[in-house]
Amino acid sequence: MTSAEAGRELRRMVRINEGIKSVVAAAFKINLMAMNAIFLAKRAGQSALGFGVLSNELRSFAGDLQQQMAALREATSASVAAVTVLVKQSRVSRLLERAGVEAQGESKTLIQELLQLRAETRLAGSNQQMATLNRGLSHMIADTVQLVELGSVLARSAKIEAAYGGGFSVALMQVSSDFEKMIGEIRQSLESLSGTQEEDFVA
Amino acid sequence: MKTARIIYEDGDHKWLAIVRDTSRPEFLIDTNEYLVTSDGDGMLLDPGGSEIFPAVFSALSTSFDPRCIGKIFSSHQDPDVISSLPMWLEFNPGIKCYLSWLWQGFVPHFAGEADTFVPIPDNGMEIPVGSRRLRAIAAHYLHSSGNFHLYDAGAGILFSGDVGAALLPRGEDGLFVEDFDRHIRHAEGFHRRWMGSDKAKNDWCARVSALDIDMLCPQHGAIYRGADVKRFIDWFSRLEIGVLKT
Repeated sequence: MTSAEAGRELRRMVRINEGIKSVVAAAFKINLMAMNAIFLAKRAGQSALGFGVLSNELRSFAGDLQQQMAALREATSASVAAVTVLVKQSRVSRLLERAGVEAQGESKTLIQELLQLRAETRLAGSNQQMATLNRGLSHMIADTVQLVELGSVLARSAKIEAAYGGGFSVALMQVSSDFEKMIGEIRQSLESLSGTQEEDFVA
Repeated sequence: MKTARIIYEDGDHKWLAIVRDTSRPEFLIDTNEYLVTSDGDGMLLDPGGSEIFPAVFSALSTSFDPRCIGKIFSSHQDPDVISSLPMWLEFNPGIKCYLSWLWQGFVPHFAGEADTFVPIPDNGMEIPVGSRRLRAIAAHYLHSSGNFHLYDAGAGILFSGDVGAALLPRGEDGLFVEDFDRHIRHAEGFHRRWMGSDKAKNDWCARVSALDIDMLCPQHGAIYRGADVKRFIDWFSRLEIGVLKT
């Protein structure tokens, strides 16, 4: 991995982390909104029972989303650590290659053997680890997209339930619209996060 | 390209100086590396920065099998002293690196495992190289707060790290000091700025004066030998240090 490639990879991780931050912020808001919605549904009584159940589900959804983002953040940290190892190893290789050019006779052979061994074991291993981490990251983002789909369904259902809210219908409708809007923002952040993750990974 | 020069030889007991990298970029400080060998065992002293590893390696391997380097002595923690450690560990992951206990948690940022490092206590220790026993001599605050020099009584050589160092201009790059008064001008500014403790300096001068030294080998510049060793110690003891400007 060259330093330019490493820089690109690290910038990619920074963008993913930025995406994670905005999803976490949105999940936090959904959690608060859902808590308020639960109280509102309680006040509305029998006519908002369904809305209350859905608000509870949206609160769980926000919790799950936050957990998923924490796992994603850990995965990006592991990727940054793997990039660091790759950069260190490629620096060592570069210096050994230079030593190989300057060395003569037996020591030249010694360097060549060492470089070959490194290429077969360490570098290959690190590249493989980097690729595995990136696959893991992609899977986690895909899982999060699924989770957000569930959130969308819950928000839409809450909107339908709001219509049966009697005297509280307008207020419940407002809350469910806010849910939808917030989940829309999460979806946007995730799309940009997926786009970043799909950028060419270089190891 | 550096060259390896034998500066002491008595049977299998040798000292090699790896010096004068003519292809070194100007922005890198020039350094001397030393190799002590005895009975097939080798200890590399201040192996140098990672950028000069290729030059050190190729010069050293003309005279010694690099796989037989079992020990590294690091006078202190600076990058021009020890940042090539990861490369040497590639050849022999079992290399032991002797350095002040103070830097034991810092130098592993370059490379190495917990068992790579042998901490030298503040009052120094003996380090075996083959059948020889060399002495790590305290030189704390000269300039690093955890600093050691290495004395080989059998060879009469003191490796003195940054003490005795001189930043030589191009063209004045002899292996040994030939004209002390001319040479010391290139050492003065360095010592005034880098050496921070007068008390430590005087203590070092007193201790080192009591040793039998034929050659004083610094990490930068030329080697002092014969009468120039005492001349240097006397000059250093009189020098005002820890100042910004000369």
